[in-house]
Amino acid sequence: MTSVLTVDDSASIRRTIKIALTNEDYTVTEAADGAEGLRAADAGKFDLIITDLNMPVMDGLTMIRELRKKPAHAGVPILFLTTESDAGIKGEAKAAGATGWVTKPFDPENLIKVVKRILAK
Amino acid sequence: MSIDEGMEIFRVEAQELLEQIEQGLLDLAGNPGDKEMVATIFRALHTLKGSGAMFGFDDLAGFTHHCETAFDRVRKGEVPATRELVAAVLNAMDHMRALAEKRPVAAGEGDRLLAALERVVGEAGTNTALHPVPTPTEAAAQGLATWHIRFTLGADVLVNGTRPLPMLDELRALGECPRGACRISAVTTAIPPLDALTPTECYLGWDVELTTDQPRAAIEEVFMFVIDDMTLDITAAHPAEAEPGVPEVTKADHPVAPAPAAGAEAAAATDARAWRPDSQVRVPAARIDELMDRVGELVIAQSRLKQIAIASTDMNLRSVAEDIEHLASELRDSMMSVRMVPVVQLFGRFRRLILDLARDTGKEIELITEGEATELDKTVIERLADPLIHLIRNAADHGLEMPEERRAAGKPAKGRILLSARQAGAEVVISVKDDGRGVNRARVRTKAEESGLIMPATVLSDQDLLQLIFQPGFSTAATVTSLSGRGVGMDVVKRGIEGLRGSLELSSPPGEGSQVSLRIPLTLAIVDGLLVRVGKARYVIPVSAVEECLELTPEQDLRSTGRSLLTIRDHLVPFIRLRDLFKTGTQPDRYQKIIVISTGTDRVGLVVDQILGDYQTVIKPLSPFHSGVGSFSGATILGDGNVALILDVGALTTSAAQHDQTPLRAAS
Amino acid sequence: MQAQSVTQTKARADTINAGAEVLTFEVSAETFALEALLVREVLDNCPETFVPGAPPFVDSVINFRGRIIPLADLRLAFGLPPTENTLDSRIIVIEFALNGDATLIGLRADKVFEVTTIPDASTEAAPRLGTRWRPDFIRCLAKRKGEVIVLPNLARIFAVCGQAAAGQAEHLHPVA
Repeated sequence: MTSVLTVDDSASIRRTIKIALTNEDYTVTEAADGAEGLRAADAGKFDLIITDLNMPVMDGLTMIRELRKKPAHAGVPILFLTTESDAGIKGEAKAAGATGWVTKPFDPENLIKVVKRILAK
Repeated sequence: MSIDEGMEIFRVEAQELLEQIEQGLLDLAGNPGDKEMVATIFRALHTLKGSGAMFGFDDLAGFTHHCETAFDRVRKGEVPATRELVAAVLNAMDHMRALAEKRPVAAGEGDRLLAALERVVGEAGTNTALHPVPTPTEAAAQGLATWHIRFTLGADVLVNGTRPLPMLDELRALGECPRGACRISAVTTAIPPLDALTPTECYLGWDVELTTDQPRAAIEEVFMFVIDDMTLDITAAHPAEAEPGVPEVTKADHPVAPAPAAGAEAAAATDARAWRPDSQVRVPAARIDELMDRVGELVIAQSRLKQIAIASTDMNLRSVAEDIEHLASELRDSMMSVRMVPVVQLFGRFRRLILDLARDTGKEIELITEGEATELDKTVIERLADPLIHLIRNAADHGLEMPEERRAAGKPAKGRILLSARQAGAEVVISVKDDGRGVNRARVRTKAEESGLIMPATVLSDQDLLQLIFQPGFSTAATVTSLSGRGVGMDVVKRGIEGLRGSLELSSPPGEGSQVSLRIPLTLAIVDGLLVRVGKARYVIPVSAVEECLELTPEQDLRSTGRSLLTIRDHLVPFIRLRDLFKTGTQPDRYQKIIVISTGTDRVGLVVDQILGDYQTVIKPLSPFHSGVGSFSGATILGDGNVALILDVGALTTSAAQHDQTPLRAAS
Repeated sequence: MQAQSVTQTKARADTINAGAEVLTFEVSAETFALEALLVREVLDNCPETFVPGAPPFVDSVINFRGRIIPLADLRLAFGLPPTENTLDSRIIVIEFALNGDATLIGLRADKVFEVTTIPDASTEAAPRLGTRWRPDFIRCLAKRKGEVIVLPNLARIFAVCGQAAAGQAEHLHPVA
């Protein structure tokens, strides 16, 4: 059973992602900020993490960096959500250890395609 | 569809975000250096924009985008958070709310607000002594260069969710610097004839000629994540407008943005809380109401069980009935707490109100709040909003004086309105107190006589005089102001509070301004009552109002015929024979009971035939036909299925006073 | 004067749809009918609780499935003499839009007859003359088997009678 962690402070985005992925028979766990995301990742075993960058308590970039420091999470694919106004962020995210990105606003169908592509590798 | 459900959640989320932004802005106005607050506001705007675009709120997203950009600049230190900037965004709050609720907005309103914002940001930017902190790309942007870029994507990229269009947009954005340019043309050579065309495959390549002041790395970054699946060719062309001596821009180092110290600390300081996936659950309010109804009905059924058990000799039955009583009581308490929310969310709304009031009246007003953590049932809080707004408006409009008048009276020029909440037993007391000129007794008197509320010669105690203000049709406003209409709404406020089974007190000691206190029972739905019999009917009196129960001996009864005062422990207490008030037409019991109730200011004894016992009961509303009947605030269903009316103690004492035309205040 | 013609127009506009189902019932020897769609339930007599201070038209309440609903007496609207409660007495519970809100109201009835339809040709607007009752309280009259059936204008009755305080009952209907 493929399990995905979605980290975003926006409940509506989390819900949309959850429904889209659950329809594909993935199990989805939610977290509302980077710190919760870290705790969740440590407590569970995920095949993919989708995270927003702009969050309270701990932002997405920091969370990605912290995740990559731990051997357990060194290999999990991490997708981040970005809006066009996030100039220069992609470089930072890649440097932090992100695997791929999805622009916001996104089409859930499109998200699923990206997720499948990433998981297929 | 996932989008539809997300949209519903977004509607609520948008409200919360807007609330957060507004409160944040108000805080920031008072404390412009608060970087945390700026970050919070920025994040909220960012989410509002991003999620708004997701769920079809394009107007909102478009508008918010500009506010977000402005706050991004503040966040980066390019522009300070001036009062004008904060005010400009605050002014846009109502517009954003309308967009978030998809309500119609005035044409051009959005543009007007954005123009004002832009002006302020521009001014703030130039006025600042701060030099804009150079971002890495800006620092590297020394001169223009032109690049030829050719790229093709893998045939299956479209199927895999890669979108070429955003990449092209990014390249275009790179060319949007001064004297920059971007020309894109598609390379169509790989497209097969129509009969060999597979629509899901990508046959296009692109040729881009880009003149930009950004370094090469910026171009590479556009393709960073798909670089493994594509071909990319970037060659530097001869710089179109090269200035002599300008070094060719090479790949500049992008210093990794300093990991926010706060973020690292947060990670290190991860609290010992064990990971719980959902430590908070969102529940639609309607479901909680339903649950409340079920609990209410359980309480009724449990009461009936109790009656049966008491009358039974079956010990097992009695034991189980007792257990169920405990459980029902605990369940009831749990349900209460589920619906309790701190009043802070109510008080928060008023800070904005005060700003508007100060502006509209030309007075200086300070709002101080106390006891914001005090909790009240959610539905009660909603119904308190309007009455409180009215009271605050009245305080600002009529209570507080203009700064000059205040100074002349030796007061600080800034008027204070104190909004406080505290719990007192089974009630919550919320008060609005101002340090203004207090109630002008003479004016109240005059107005009351003019309105025909009292006869000129009537002697009134101070409290009675003040209570006149709450009568319909009363007004002391010398001028009709646009703010509070005719200076009334006080009777509306009173009715609103009484609709919550609460009560209202007004006090205005000379020289101490005025204070209106609202007493609200902690919950609307279930009341602890005293069940009594008057004649053949049964009534419920809320226990919270009951002070004591006494016996009325036949001798006392005879002695007090024709009078409505009784001596209880050397105090004179007025009383009402409910038998008479309700015109039961029955003969009184030999030994009647007096239940002394207190409405905060008044004590009154209610004479009943028999006290039947404690009764915990669910309050049901009366139909519109009966909601105007003063004596009752609701009704309940007894264990045997009959209906008992619940006495409205405040209204009873008032109506009895009018009925008798004897003053109801005991001489103390 | 003006008022009468307005009433007449209103009465014309309020004629019941032909073929609509109605519940017929008796109050004080007069036959009334109301749209079956409004009826939630017909109850046998159940305990009533008097509400001191309520308008005489709705002076009591009953427990209807856990809700407390007012009990209205059409007798008072039409100045009809009171009758004894018998084994046939019923309470018709209707759901009616009062000020836009769906409200449950109980109506006293001495007898409840049946659900039936009013044939088209038999409905006629309340005539100006020849009626003992307030024209604005009547939607229209129907004839069936030689007897007159009154379709009351509930909205108007509730609006007027629901407000009257105790002691004003006499003003509700013209002196017979």
